[in-house]
Amino acid sequence: MTLNRNVFWIIPLLLLALPLVLNQYLQYVVNLILVYILVGVGFNIVVGNLGQLAFSNVAFFGIGAYASGMLTYHLGWPWWTTVIPAGLFGALAGCAASIPALRGVRLFYLAIMTLAFGELMRWAYIRVPGTGGSMGLAVPEPVGFGLGDSAWVMTTEYQKFYVFLFIVVVVVIAASRLLESRFGRAFLAIKNDELAAAAMGIPTGKYFLLAFALSGFIVGIGGAMYAALGLHLSPEDFDLIQVILHFAIIMVGGIGSLIGSILGSSLIVAVPEVIRHFEWLVGSEEWIFGVAIIAVILFLPRGLSSLLAKLHPIFKDRYYRK
Amino acid sequence: MTLLTVTDATVRFGGLVAVNNVSFETEPGKVRALIGPNGAGKTTLFKAIAGEEELESGTIRFQDQEIQTLTPHEISERGVRRTFQTGGLFGELTALENVLAGLHTQVPSSLGGLLINSKHAKQVEKEATEKAHHLLEMMGIPHVAEQWARDLSGGQQRMVEIVRALATDPPLLLLDEPAVGLAPPVRLELLKIIRRLVEEENIGVILIEHAIEFVMTVSDTIMVLNNGEVIADGAPEEIRQDKEVLEAYLGR
Repeated sequence: MTLNRNVFWIIPLLLLALPLVLNQYLQYVVNLILVYILVGVGFNIVVGNLGQLAFSNVAFFGIGAYASGMLTYHLGWPWWTTVIPAGLFGALAGCAASIPALRGVRLFYLAIMTLAFGELMRWAYIRVPGTGGSMGLAVPEPVGFGLGDSAWVMTTEYQKFYVFLFIVVVVVIAASRLLESRFGRAFLAIKNDELAAAAMGIPTGKYFLLAFALSGFIVGIGGAMYAALGLHLSPEDFDLIQVILHFAIIMVGGIGSLIGSILGSSLIVAVPEVIRHFEWLVGSEEWIFGVAIIAVILFLPRGLSSLLAKLHPIFKDRYYRK
Repeated sequence: MTLLTVTDATVRFGGLVAVNNVSFETEPGKVRALIGPNGAGKTTLFKAIAGEEELESGTIRFQDQEIQTLTPHEISERGVRRTFQTGGLFGELTALENVLAGLHTQVPSSLGGLLINSKHAKQVEKEATEKAHHLLEMMGIPHVAEQWARDLSGGQQRMVEIVRALATDPPLLLLDEPAVGLAPPVRLELLKIIRRLVEEENIGVILIEHAIEFVMTVSDTIMVLNNGEVIADGAPEEIRQDKEVLEAYLGR
């Protein structure tokens, strides 16, 4: 029998049982992985699929998180109603971040300009009224669904997990459909040869804008989840270390691969926690983490997704390249 | 009937006049070759037609519409399609996906339709895939469909690039050095394909090529550029005898 991709449904179905076996802390780690899956999926669209060296991802993440946090804190919106707006703010930031690229800025110049965008946003998180400044913003207990008296407040990590899992499954399916369509082909065509893409009738500017906006939308939703998870946002959450983290996720997972984004975020988030679990390793987290990343990139330059693809063709991501 | 009319086209790069006051016409069902030494302005002229270089002065009309102010993708959409001297193929896509990318403007699936996996979105993708398979088959390379473009041989890559350019049934095809790096039998095959396209499909072809025997055999008319200017324009036999061309390019 040949397997088809519907077998992937087993994964979220099995995950549904996770709260039965995990304590609150481990459940928190899994929830954090779910947040970073969206961060990785969104980042990979711009870097892996569109092929642009743009590091504005942290800005999208922070903007989504602050949008959600501020809407719940100041306006009293239930958290679940802020998820799409957080995505839209992220998409708007994506449109803004695409401007240098649309004006022909590429490679290192684009990298530096988009990094600057992220740093500029960090300044905004401190200075813009309502963000809580450098002390940060306390996010109210997130409402999973319902309004007013019937609001379902997510007080445990287990409750957050089910809502987060639902969001991640929806986003990953949507992203996969899009990346396998003419949109995904257009992104990769631009990555491979921008001039030839235009010569094939692909309006490259429109697709730049779309990729950045889409990336911003997905990562912005991740930001909303991050706000609900930690219940506290501070400007330091979105600093340059985050840029490296996001980049490590897609490098380790596999640049341009959707499955890679999932694997990468799982590993990058889980490894430091696993290390912390072993007492005799405490204090060595940083160097073990560093060596692990170097080892993966050195021995699996195409990321973990390439390893998985060797196991069975079903894991062969459309955008995984040998 | 003319397909493309270039009138007094001039392209300048700073102090260098790359294309100087060039005028010519091209017809459907004919192959028009552009030859000349390196730096003569052939590729620049090509780029100007495809919208990749701006004209300093002059006009380019395609099917009675001025196109010199349009962007490359708008010109492509109107039916002027090109291949590239080097690269050009999307290496990270399969041969089939390359042709599908060539069909981009003819796959009208919307973002919303794709997200909900609508019937229409699936249908247009299926139809485009069938057409892409059919085109590869017509060109005699159905077996490469699922291979990554960057893994194909030089000859196969050239064929896929031509299929991709032809996918939307364009009236005008610009070929930039299509025969370069091809073994003699593949060249012959390419020659036959180009002649078939112009004679059976009535496509107009403009090609740049240095392989002079190839040019002489495939072309209906040849235009010779030197230092950005047209120094001769005529049938292959006339060009072969032209004194100025012999001096500037062909050699005695």
